[in-house]
Amino acid sequence: MSVQAMSSTGSGRDSFFTKLPGALPGLALIVVTMVVIKMWIEPWMAVTKVFGMQKPLTDAFHLNYILLAIVFGLVYRNVIFAGTIPAVLADGFKLSRLMIKTGIIMLGSLYTVQAIVQLGSMAIFLIGGFVILSIIMVLWLGKLMGLDRSMTAVLANALSICGVSAAVATSPAVEAKATHVAYAIATILGFGIVTMFISPFIGHALGLTDLQYGAWVGTGILNSGQVLAACLAFNPKVAPGTAVSVGEIWNIMRVISIPFAVFAVTVWYWSGRKGEAQQGQQKSLGTLLVEKFPVFVLGFLVMVLMTSIGAFGDAGIKGGPPPSETIKTLRLVMQWIFGFGLVGLGAYIDVKELARAGGTPLKIGLIVGVTKYVLALIVVFLIKDMLVSI
Amino acid sequence: MAANNQVGSETLGSTDEKSKMTLFKDDRAEDWGAIVVSILIVAVIIVMGMK
Repeated sequence: MSVQAMSSTGSGRDSFFTKLPGALPGLALIVVTMVVIKMWIEPWMAVTKVFGMQKPLTDAFHLNYILLAIVFGLVYRNVIFAGTIPAVLADGFKLSRLMIKTGIIMLGSLYTVQAIVQLGSMAIFLIGGFVILSIIMVLWLGKLMGLDRSMTAVLANALSICGVSAAVATSPAVEAKATHVAYAIATILGFGIVTMFISPFIGHALGLTDLQYGAWVGTGILNSGQVLAACLAFNPKVAPGTAVSVGEIWNIMRVISIPFAVFAVTVWYWSGRKGEAQQGQQKSLGTLLVEKFPVFVLGFLVMVLMTSIGAFGDAGIKGGPPPSETIKTLRLVMQWIFGFGLVGLGAYIDVKELARAGGTPLKIGLIVGVTKYVLALIVVFLIKDMLVSI
Repeated sequence: MAANNQVGSETLGSTDEKSKMTLFKDDRAEDWGAIVVSILIVAVIIVMGMK
């Protein structure tokens, strides 16, 4: 079986290494920001009194280094730099996704193969169901509201899988214009920012466990970086069984489904174009798998394997011996890397750009996004006895 | 591609080199970059732990 697709565009002439020196000023600002947050602001919040309340910033508002990292990034871009990151700093902030992906690969040290199979089988059930449900909802609402077919296809994958990556991966295969991708991304990021900040409060208010919370936000939030941020904001600890260890398994399952969803939505798109299906380049599911599979997941799986065979010493899995010094250092480094990445993520939230999202894509985005977010919470509550901690 | 400089342009989807949200050629290259960086970090941690 094959589908229509057009060749993707966009490749830089300069290599990563020639650009790297130019990234140092921005990188330095990110590092200094995290040092200030971790060394001064977080310890201050842990002891400060406000209106007679003991530690309200950490206990009542659940502020931690992760939320502060995102807020600092947001403030840099939208307040201090008035909407545009200065050219001298821009390349440094462009390393934020690299840091988040690096952290996710290293996160493999939190799991054994057995834990991955255990959590992964639960995740497949939830993620699979929600991806299919979201795609069907968007395609149906798109038809109902008369949305452009190409825009509908991009929005379907953006709202069902992994936000930005899915929108970008789908766009060349469904003849999407840059504005379609832009609208889809603005819609999902706007929704995601709200959920990223409110989820920890809801989680604490409902008394969710790390496992329940991780399963919920891993299913209900649309963007990888935002799932990571929401999990660490709920519980900043990076260890087996914490919210981030659960949420990221859910997230990885969803990222892996990108080529399959791109294939399905592309088939839907071209089935409605009738006689035009032979005009473009043919791409099979196998080709899409090779082209779109997120290879950083392979790095994550290698880390899981190495942890399982004891390459880093004891992993500190629940019920086993305490973690080795290597594992402890790995987890400490991960916290810093995620912090660096999330300062950058915050700096890529442009309030003015988000305000431009609107019209039918925004309506569909909100309907599907809220449905998914609330339904995921209900489902997690319903199956909470089936969720087994690692 | 003027639209790429508008809403949500700072993503890997942009064909405009300046507004890409990565220093890498594309998403796949960034994935490999992350694998290389994580190997380097793990190697440094292991070597430092040996001392």
